[in-house]
Amino acid sequence: MSTLLLDASVVLAAFDSEDKRHDAAHALLVDRAVTLATLDLARYEAANVAVRAWSAPDAVAPLLAALERIAGDGGVVPSTQALLARASELAEEHTISVYDAAYVAAAEEAERVLVSCDERDLVSKRLAVFPETVTK
Amino acid sequence: MAKVMVSMPEALLAEVDAEARRIGSTRSAVLRGFADEALRRRRGDRAAAMRTVLREASPHGGNAAEQVKATRP
Repeated sequence: MSTLLLDASVVLAAFDSEDKRHDAAHALLVDRAVTLATLDLARYEAANVAVRAWSAPDAVAPLLAALERIAGDGGVVPSTQALLARASELAEEHTISVYDAAYVAAAEEAERVLVSCDERDLVSKRLAVFPETVTK
Repeated sequence: MAKVMVSMPEALLAEVDAEARRIGSTRSAVLRGFADEALRRRRGDRAAAMRTVLREASPHGGNAAEQVKATRP
């Protein structure tokens, strides 16, 4: 049993039936064997993708509902000054954005495993794992 | 197994001990069982609710990770 910290890409992939990680992301969100948590940033990123990339403002409510269910499970980590300071260090160290590094810092602070669909900046650098890695 | 110190009201501890006696177990085992059951129920509630909201899934072109990056300010 473990707590997994999901970034916005996992929740978005679960709602996008065309995403190559849709099935694994969906399976993870309904997995009863793990505790799920996220970062407050995920709310903004998920809503932003729904409105700006998907042109689907109606998708915002179910996305935020999913994030609220995660909040009621393992919780939503707040972006505190300390977390962003650590994220800034990680961003510099791994040459990634502070946004991505904030998820890494949030996972690190409570020894959670970060789960992401971001191969280029997170999974390839061993800072996160794909959803299919942690689903049964 | 890790050992921890837990503070709790005496009345609650008395109930835990009574439960331990009732099932012929230990205080530690009862507390472990309660914690496990609470977390299991919480995960189950999330999973069930998630099945409902995920019915809203539809095609959006894929590549969620890149879409997140592309729409950041």
